[in-house]
Amino acid sequence: MQTQENERAPFLGSWSRLYAVVIVYLVVVIALFAWFANSFKI
Amino acid sequence: MRVFDWVVLALTIGFIVAYGLWKSRKVATVSGYLLADRSLPWYTVALSIMATQASAITFISTTGQAYADGMRFIQFYFGLPLAMIIVGAFFVPRFRNANVYTAYEYLEKRFDAKTRALVSLIFLIQRGLAVGMVLYAPAVVLTVILGWNDSVTTILMGVIVTLYTVFGGIRAVAWTDFQQMIIMLVGLGAALFIAIYKLPEGVGLQEALELAGTAGKLNAVTTNFDWFDRYNLFSGVIGGMFLALAYFGCDQSQVQRYLTGKDIAQSRMSLLFNAVAKIPMQFFILLTGAMVWVFYIFTAPPVTFHSGKLPALTGTVIERQHQAAIEERRSAATELLAKRNEAARARYLKAHQQVDAVHKEATKGFNDTNYVFLNFVTQHLPVGFVGLVIAVIFGAAMSVSSGEINSLATVTMIDVYKRFLNPSGNEQSYLWFTRLATVFWGCYAVVSAQLARNLGSLVEAVNLLGSLFYGGLLGVFLLAFFFPRVKGTAAFLGVLAGEAVIFYVHYTGAVGFLWYNVIGCAVVVAAGLLLSIFDRSEAY
Repeated sequence: MQTQENERAPFLGSWSRLYAVVIVYLVVVIALFAWFANSFKI
Repeated sequence: MRVFDWVVLALTIGFIVAYGLWKSRKVATVSGYLLADRSLPWYTVALSIMATQASAITFISTTGQAYADGMRFIQFYFGLPLAMIIVGAFFVPRFRNANVYTAYEYLEKRFDAKTRALVSLIFLIQRGLAVGMVLYAPAVVLTVILGWNDSVTTILMGVIVTLYTVFGGIRAVAWTDFQQMIIMLVGLGAALFIAIYKLPEGVGLQEALELAGTAGKLNAVTTNFDWFDRYNLFSGVIGGMFLALAYFGCDQSQVQRYLTGKDIAQSRMSLLFNAVAKIPMQFFILLTGAMVWVFYIFTAPPVTFHSGKLPALTGTVIERQHQAAIEERRSAATELLAKRNEAARARYLKAHQQVDAVHKEATKGFNDTNYVFLNFVTQHLPVGFVGLVIAVIFGAAMSVSSGEINSLATVTMIDVYKRFLNPSGNEQSYLWFTRLATVFWGCYAVVSAQLARNLGSLVEAVNLLGSLFYGGLLGVFLLAFFFPRVKGTAAFLGVLAGEAVIFYVHYTGAVGFLWYNVIGCAVVVAAGLLLSIFDRSEAY
């Protein structure tokens, strides 16, 4: 089964770039949560 | 609840349902009823997908889970953005280009009718049981607040949700979800704000976070790997990704949502919005639970949050022990904030453990987690906010139940009735059968809700149930997309092998349930590839 031509991404020019931004976002979020988990202790 | 709370509750729910029905008033075709004529904008689809996942369970059980176990449940969602990317890149274009109503319809185009029938059956069993659990969650609310019998409540809720789904179809479901999601965010923000606002003088957000963090309640990332630990970084990223991949890629309740988008780009954008927004939303829900825990350091909690069990514990030794432990913890917390030294910290942690031990003893034999947030809402939120938060919980239950009932009816019509029982029917007969199937699944949900009563934490029960089946579903779709040499019989037997292994692993208790998805998927793919060696007919 062949898929048709993908439609263009609305931001950043391509879907690959959008996906890369989401992955970077995930890494940043995990790092922030790790900081959060360890920052509020007495 | 006071009169004004009832007014807020009734107006909020009434507005949501009326708006959804108004937006769907012109539905007259099967395509319109099941896929909204593939015409919805991405932001509506995105919020609809989020609302479908944000069930009443999310508000009732997740906050309670943070209260009891801290915020480590957030790691469950770390794999979701990765899954959204994979679904957007590989699943969406295939489903859209195949022009299907259901994900399982695609399997017949790729494999054969028996594989489609098997996977459809698995979906119907799994979702049929899960829809009962999400219907039961708001019954917990009414049982606590009004003292109604929870069976009566589930029947009443089931009838309302079924009627509204029968008339509106997916368009009503999506537009009501859109409204519900916005109200959910407002209600959640209000609950979090009030939990912090009601802390005693001298205890602000910083101090509340420090008290929660010192007691281990802010444990949002845990890097210790353990096969038996349900929530850590590794099980979250890997196991969570497989679960989310199966849920968004193979579960019709989700596939049907993004198939309503105008085109591939709109469907993908709705998924990527979820990839970005879901984790922060869950974070704030869990943070609300953690802040409620801090609130109850300074405001004495009852020995149990389950009002039905409270009379039996009143005046007992265990209640006196609980009161003494609570008082010691409050005193230790105050001392810790004032002195900030090791001795005060040790006293605080000891007091915290003592409260936990007494509470565990008091709640032996029943689950208290699901009642924590409700107790806080009804006892401590100001007038009007109680009605709003209860409306949020109802709205959440309605959005999930209606979406699941709608997807169950869709599979019953498209993959069973139209495919096997009446392939040559007309548009009107299919539309009426879909409405009939919606009524059937609404009734089924009510009946299966009666089984949800003793399942412990409902959010875990739903995810465990999903994990028993999702690995097998995901495996067969991966075979379909990425292994063109594998054909119908190999895929069919692969699914059976995968499910057999998952149930065996669950029976032995060998690993935490998040790993079921990985194991089941791997077995299906491996078995499918192995069996395809013996199948020499022409490849797909």
